[in-house]
Amino acid sequence: MPDLSGSDERPLLDVAELRTTFHTPVGPLVAVDGVEWSLRRGARLGVVGESGSGKSVMSRSIMRLLPKSRVTSTGNVSFDGIDMMSLGRRELLEMWGPQLAMVFQDPLGSLNPVMKIGKQVGEGLRVHRDLSARAARSAALGLLEEVGIPEPHRRIDEYPHQLSGGMRQRIVIAIALACSPRLLIADEPTTALDVTVQAQILDLIEAQRAERNMSLVLITHDLGIVAGRTDEIIVMYAGRIVERAPTSTLFSDMRMPYTEALFRSIPKVTDDSHARLEIIGGQPPQMTDLPLGCKFAPRCKYAQDLCFAEEPALIEVPKAAPARSSISGSADDGEPDPAAGVHLYRCFYPVGTPEAAEAFERNIASGRVSEAGVVIRTDD
Amino acid sequence: MAGSGNAHLRPDALLSARDLVVEFPAAGGRTVYAISGVSLDLAEGETLGLVGESGCGKSTTGRAILQLPRPTSGTVQLAGQELTELDEDDIRKVRPRLQMIYQDPISSLNPRRRVRDIVAEPLFIALENVSRRTAMAVWQDRIGELLQNLLRRAAVPLRIVGRLASVAFVLWILSETVEERAAEGWLGWTQVPAAIIGFPTLALLLLAGAIALMLGLTWVLLAVMLPFGLMSRQFGEVSSAVGLAGVVVTTGASAFMLWRTWSSFGGWAKWLNSGGLILLTAVLAVWLLLSIAKPERAGASGVATTLSAMVVLQVFYVAGLDGGIKLAVLVASAVVDALLFRWVLRRYRANRDAEREQAEPRVREVLEYVGINPDDAMDRRPWEFSGGQAQRLSIARALVSVPQVIICDEPVSSLDVSVQAQILNLLEDLKNLMGLTLVFIAHDLAVVKNVSDRVAVMYLGKLCEVSEPDAMFDEPAHPYTELLLAAIPQPDPEAELGSGRIGGELPSPMDPPSGCRFRTRCPHAAQRCIDEEPEMREIAPGRFVACHTPLVGDSAPVRVEMASAPRGES
Ligand SMILES: Nc1ncnc2c1ncn2[C@@H]1O[C@H](COP(=O)(O)OP(=O)(O)OP(=O)(O)O)[C@@H](O)[C@H]1O
Ligand SMILES: Nc1ncnc2c1ncn2[C@@H]1O[C@H](COP(=O)(O)OP(=O)(O)O)[C@@H](O)[C@H]1O
Ligand code: SF4
Ligand code: SF4
Ligand SMILES: [Mg+2]
Ligand SMILES: [Mg+2]
Repeated sequence: MPDLSGSDERPLLDVAELRTTFHTPVGPLVAVDGVEWSLRRGARLGVVGESGSGKSVMSRSIMRLLPKSRVTSTGNVSFDGIDMMSLGRRELLEMWGPQLAMVFQDPLGSLNPVMKIGKQVGEGLRVHRDLSARAARSAALGLLEEVGIPEPHRRIDEYPHQLSGGMRQRIVIAIALACSPRLLIADEPTTALDVTVQAQILDLIEAQRAERNMSLVLITHDLGIVAGRTDEIIVMYAGRIVERAPTSTLFSDMRMPYTEALFRSIPKVTDDSHARLEIIGGQPPQMTDLPLGCKFAPRCKYAQDLCFAEEPALIEVPKAAPARSSISGSADDGEPDPAAGVHLYRCFYPVGTPEAAEAFERNIASGRVSEAGVVIRTDD
Repeated sequence: MAGSGNAHLRPDALLSARDLVVEFPAAGGRTVYAISGVSLDLAEGETLGLVGESGCGKSTTGRAILQLPRPTSGTVQLAGQELTELDEDDIRKVRPRLQMIYQDPISSLNPRRRVRDIVAEPLFIALENVSRRTAMAVWQDRIGELLQNLLRRAAVPLRIVGRLASVAFVLWILSETVEERAAEGWLGWTQVPAAIIGFPTLALLLLAGAIALMLGLTWVLLAVMLPFGLMSRQFGEVSSAVGLAGVVVTTGASAFMLWRTWSSFGGWAKWLNSGGLILLTAVLAVWLLLSIAKPERAGASGVATTLSAMVVLQVFYVAGLDGGIKLAVLVASAVVDALLFRWVLRRYRANRDAEREQAEPRVREVLEYVGINPDDAMDRRPWEFSGGQAQRLSIARALVSVPQVIICDEPVSSLDVSVQAQILNLLEDLKNLMGLTLVFIAHDLAVVKNVSDRVAVMYLGKLCEVSEPDAMFDEPAHPYTELLLAAIPQPDPEAELGSGRIGGELPSPMDPPSGCRFRTRCPHAAQRCIDEEPEMREIAPGRFVACHTPLVGDSAPVRVEMASAPRGES
């Protein structure tokens, strides 16, 4: 964990009531619905969820990088006291780079194919720091070295297509780091890469984050990636936060059935070969036609009538409730941090409670859910 | 590994590949040694997992087994039949027994076809008349390759030329009026550049622009058509007939234009002007000829391009005519085009409906196997499905022809975790239900462990370790396997972030290291590893390793502290 003892610090980024709606031909699509969280300086937030859950739209809304038309984005995004939502194009250009930077999933797509690497890396510096072409080039060289590009002197004059996927992602990171941003949003930075390169890239991001005391938002659909590399995790479903907890608490004491299902569906190297994977039955929700109650209800093995009728609110785990198998929780929680320490979830029958166990039994008895916990009948 | 040797092979395999070598030519007369002597075998009903870093040759191995392309050397036997010696026609007959599932489900399915046709396709491939493949077909492949290479290398110049070309193209079309205007004594703005740089220069520029434009267009057309496999025979014939008609018409028309411009106007400027047009016609004619030569690849886009090329040329030629004739020709050609379209479409539909009817029961059956409701899905197109559903469709497509072996190239890598689990379970179920034999390529070791009966680890074109998965994951025997395992992210915050990282990048496959190919990144590398290539040998029952000092067995070294692994970067 990074040193968070930074005393009174107000959060670097504060997101409140963020709601982003796309106006599609089939009606409004609320891609992000009332999201709220904050991030302290130097802290690391993980965002997980299936594809389509709104992770990218949320980060783009914060960056103010949404398409220009047919979108409405409301709410408060305050970056170090600056109200991002009120900024004009010009002011945003000044923010992108030195204040917030983003790394996208597809490294080739976010690089200019016909511009030399050195120029792309140095461009931000020329704009924001007013560096000369020569100074920008030598700064770019330093950055390439920092992100672990072998033979930077040769690579600086190459084009993106001449590099491997892993090296391209390093370049994208170098560009994002060029102006020493205070917040880096990495949207699935390694989804397109293989495990060995993935590990290298994640190590690189972590090393640079620690060195620059940057804050990091790491977006992924792989719980394995955020497990060892974040302080707090947000789980998203259908544009909403469905669970939010410090990382170790989330893994030891997850409350939301969706988080549990996501976790169980990952094949783990520690399992035996041919071990049956637990799947989340059904499809991710149709975002233009969301169910009434809990958005996860049609796929949830605990769902009861109440879940279909009413949407649960995001509530805090009662302090009295002991973490079920917390191995480490207590070590960190000596002095619970009011901002990062909260554990919120959105469910009527939270995992691990007797109510949930009863609900599951009832569902098996009624034939809605199989013994393995997969929803087999959806016509409730 | 980097080892050779065949100790891990068994005599009774359903599929066996021996000493596969695939080399690709690279720039500057160099060679990419993509795989160098890979031997694998697969018992009936078995799943062989193939893992390794990006670029180590997993896909190339899978494709070499399928003869796509044929390996540079080595042999592949499917149920005793040698595939590397078969000619194209016979390979095609084998293809229904040997299917492939690709990584990106949506883009590997033809977006313009309906699910029922996509899934049924393998049923018809074997029946197709392949004797129509001529030398021309080979040329089309070569030209396509050449253009793709050209384009890859010339991204920047092409962009510039492309821009110039579009400007030049407009000027070219306008230049006809330039001369008319000039004759009237009125200086049009288009004449200014002509006056400044001189008409010959402009004309040359225009020509170059037209060539670049046509090259680009041809490339785009080829790129659009090539990936989308094969169409039905009759349809191919129709489209080639249309193509032939197109060539006759356009060649005739250009000859006519040539004669007409020369005789009525004379003069070199007009000549050059119509020269551009002729060039355009010639390039299109070549393109049309090529699509005739390869009817099975022409498909819907073939017909579309043939017809639209004709229409474009007609417009040009008509523009060259005067007065009343202009209108008459325009009307006549529009009528002819409309009739052609109708005729082609009718022929196509009749043939398609017959095929659909024939395939329907089987298509329904396999869609149900993979958990897709046929009534909902049959008439939709691939992009209307989610990634997971599209991957189910690819699986259905691979199953439809009752294959003996399916090669799955990263079938879950582009999918979300929850969908990935569904697909993995589905493959497992289908395997139990139908006794499928699978080659499962992936870079995610947890996934490979989950599905495989045997796992082969590859490094830079060679095998490192072949073993039963539980043993391999408990106790990796090859140093590379150990480092790969350490790189897996664990969904457990308490788990130590693997400290042993494989530093640096994969060495270039154009210049692989001597001896053991892993030696440049191996924490245990010794002099012997530089001098001598390790051979695959059995170190424990069912465990085969190509390393001089495997981590398991009698000769295992004292485990070196992992942190001492060479760290290239990060
Ligand atoms: N058509 C080709 N021409 C030249 N080189 C090629 C060609 N196809 C593959 N290669 C090279 O052969 C090697 C093996 O490639 P291959 O696609 O088999 O890797 P892979 O293991 O499947 O990687 P990934 O995990 O990224 O899919 C690579 O170095 C690649 O660049
Ligand atoms: N430009 C757009 N127009 C309409 N809908 C969009 C657009 N971009 C994203 N969406 C929708 O918003 C939802 C959330 O998408 P996204 O944030 O990209 O998901 P992910 O969690 O995979 O990053 C999805 O339903 C997606 O289809
Ligand atoms: S138990 Fe009810 S409220 Fe909780 S996730 Fe399931 S459906 Fe939603
Ligand atoms: S110990 Fe030697 S032979 Fe074994 S993997 Fe390392 S370099 Fe290769
Ligand atoms: Mg996304
Ligand atoms: Mg591959």
